[in-house]
Amino acid sequence: MELERIDNIPTETISGYRVRPGKPLPFGVSSVPGGLNFSVYTSAGTSCTLVLFSRSEMSPLAEIKIPDHYRIGDVYSIAVYDLDYEDIEYGFRIGGPFEPDKGNRFDPTNILMDPYSRVIAGRDEWGVDPDWDRAYQYRSRVAFDDFDWQGDSPLEIDDAKLVIYELHVRSFTKSDTSGVKFKGTYAGIVEKIPYLKALGINAVELMPVFEFDEFENSRTHPDTGEKLYNYWGYSTVAFFAPKAGFASSGRFGMQVDEFKQLVKELHKEGIEVILDVVFNHTAEGNERGPSISFKGLDNKIYYMLTPEGYYFNFSGTGNTLNCNNPVVRNLVLDCLRYWAAEYHIDGFRFDLASILGRDPWGAPLSNPPLLESLAFDPILSSCKLIAEAWDAGGLYQVGTFPAYGRWSEWNGKYRDTARRYLKGDNDQIGQMAQRVQGSPDLYQSNGRSPATSINFITCHDGFTLADLVSFNDKHNEANGENNSDGGNDNYSWNCGAEGWTEDLGIRALRSKQSMNAIGMLMTSRGTPMLLMGDEFGRSQHGNNNAYCIDSEISWVDWSLLESNRSLYEFTQALIRFRHQHECLRINHFDHHGSSHFPSCSFHGTTPWKVDWSPESKQLSWLMSCDNIETGLMDAVYVATNMAHYATWFELPTLPNEYKWQLCFNTGDSDNPCQALPVDFSDSGILAGERSLLIFTVSPRET
Amino acid sequence: MALTIEVVQNDVHVTITLAGDVDTKTAPELLSKLVALELNVLEQLRLDLQAVNFVSSAGLRAIVFAKQKMPHESTLYVIGASEQIIETITKTGLGNAIKIVESADNI
Repeated sequence: MELERIDNIPTETISGYRVRPGKPLPFGVSSVPGGLNFSVYTSAGTSCTLVLFSRSEMSPLAEIKIPDHYRIGDVYSIAVYDLDYEDIEYGFRIGGPFEPDKGNRFDPTNILMDPYSRVIAGRDEWGVDPDWDRAYQYRSRVAFDDFDWQGDSPLEIDDAKLVIYELHVRSFTKSDTSGVKFKGTYAGIVEKIPYLKALGINAVELMPVFEFDEFENSRTHPDTGEKLYNYWGYSTVAFFAPKAGFASSGRFGMQVDEFKQLVKELHKEGIEVILDVVFNHTAEGNERGPSISFKGLDNKIYYMLTPEGYYFNFSGTGNTLNCNNPVVRNLVLDCLRYWAAEYHIDGFRFDLASILGRDPWGAPLSNPPLLESLAFDPILSSCKLIAEAWDAGGLYQVGTFPAYGRWSEWNGKYRDTARRYLKGDNDQIGQMAQRVQGSPDLYQSNGRSPATSINFITCHDGFTLADLVSFNDKHNEANGENNSDGGNDNYSWNCGAEGWTEDLGIRALRSKQSMNAIGMLMTSRGTPMLLMGDEFGRSQHGNNNAYCIDSEISWVDWSLLESNRSLYEFTQALIRFRHQHECLRINHFDHHGSSHFPSCSFHGTTPWKVDWSPESKQLSWLMSCDNIETGLMDAVYVATNMAHYATWFELPTLPNEYKWQLCFNTGDSDNPCQALPVDFSDSGILAGERSLLIFTVSPRET
Repeated sequence: MALTIEVVQNDVHVTITLAGDVDTKTAPELLSKLVALELNVLEQLRLDLQAVNFVSSAGLRAIVFAKQKMPHESTLYVIGASEQIIETITKTGLGNAIKIVESADNI
């Protein structure tokens, strides 16, 4: 006889609902037979009331004051029975002192979002003006884990084989020119997967998709009257919830399924999903910002506060999450584990990650517990962990970020050096030689590998590639801040005219410079990252900080794919070339090279002889390894001439059994990439002004 | 709009014909009809949605629930669903579990 379980029977009735003491773990809401378990942490709160709503209703369905004897330690938990899971929205009221100067901001008149919410209602469709009269704006809902993954799991692609493509969910397909049905959404990206596959990238890095509010600090442009948003979303409302407004099914509350479908479909085509995550601050701002969740649950625990109770602002956005508090650290860990396990996410890129290594008073820690926990976490062990290794408080840790053998970094020095070399600045040859071989000056001495370096020339922050070669200065007037926002160290060069021009010579030079940039990126050791649309000349019209712009300035213009077809084909061919040549992807600094050449050697216009002088504008690199299976040598020789005049390059001498083949020549505007490599028997080649050439080797027929 | 549910059982399959909206309020009615079937041995289930305007996430989850309870080699047909319903099913990945047909003649 099967015994009836008695451990899930309600023990009392409160506010008309059958309840029993809940389980303190897991935090948030979880299913128990016949009901839902709610659990929330507050160390200094003195009371907790669960507030239930029917979907979208203004007034609560019920308020259930959780009895004090239901509290274990600092955790209130309660199991409530007979709820309609699909219909319920919930939040909490937390009692306690309101003493901002002591760091406490309890206010039981306010309904707080569950920090562990897995679905948020209230911003279901992008750009639909919220009803600000609602007492409860970001409404916690119940998520389901009934998605049919059909055997999918994270891809675990070797770091050294990745080619990352950074994109913003809405910008990628919002334009009519995208040709997709579900514009600006997760489903829209699914429609573009054949394009991504054909391009050859094997990871997408999605700019923030955790639920944020595009209406946070939204405003109207003082001159144009255009609405300006929190468009990029680097300001998290709910860490466990995908942004509903990015889902075409968000109005049905099905953003969880739509996002999972995106991950599954990308994985089917061999493309990993990396999320850009923002744990350094939240959408609650400083003392003038709203109290959404953390502020009212436990302000002193979640935020770094001055002794007077003000918010430290290392993020530059109002507050700083107290990530090395053990409770907050667990929240971050729980969050990432959840995304890895529940959404099959392959990696995370941490915005302003250096903040995560500061102690509660802001000082950098030598052994930050959060970064260490993430590095050694059993569930995250195969996830890529990528740091933006600086913060807005002046901490710059490129090369010194506490890595524990696991973390890689956005290499800002790669970006700056490649840009300066590209535009012909002096004093760049030595730096460039470091960047091309995976930045051993930054990563070798501490035992890290070339793939530690995420190499990029452009990313969402700053100019697009087309703008990098079209503007000397930023043009951020559309942001409504008198062009005072955005960085000024762009290392850009407009090739002779600021912005759009009819001058065919300038336009041709810009196209060549774009190819030169992509050529350097794809032949450098380390992990290359492209910004969406750079492969066909996407422009933001000189705006280098379009964080607030929801218009054609930000949206990818897919018509450029046709008008800049040669740049696209050049990029596509180079990505394929990178995948074919292992010597470009060697992932340790002590690699011995091939039987004929060192692993990575540098040359000038004369083989084996580099002009390291400040005025030098020519550098070549030769990378080589032996193919273990075929026994043949793999070698790639890249010659770059960033001078404004053509220069003769002697090629290194090959062993008799090999011959050079020319694959790419940006100086040949009619034919910058060869459909088939062309045998090359001359001893050298004239590299055109500001040009890049790429050769490989092939065995001679005997 | 109210939901009417008609269940017809024959030797090899069950047909459930719905009329109205399957929203958060009415989805539990569909779920209770599904639960009442012997799903674990059912080889084929046909859901006729020709007279349905709207299916909420709760309604879609009831359908997923049914398929998960049915044997692996069983088939769940959704008949005559509107374009919008089919789109929602497809883009949220629920389409893997079911077969979408225009009418019962296509089965």
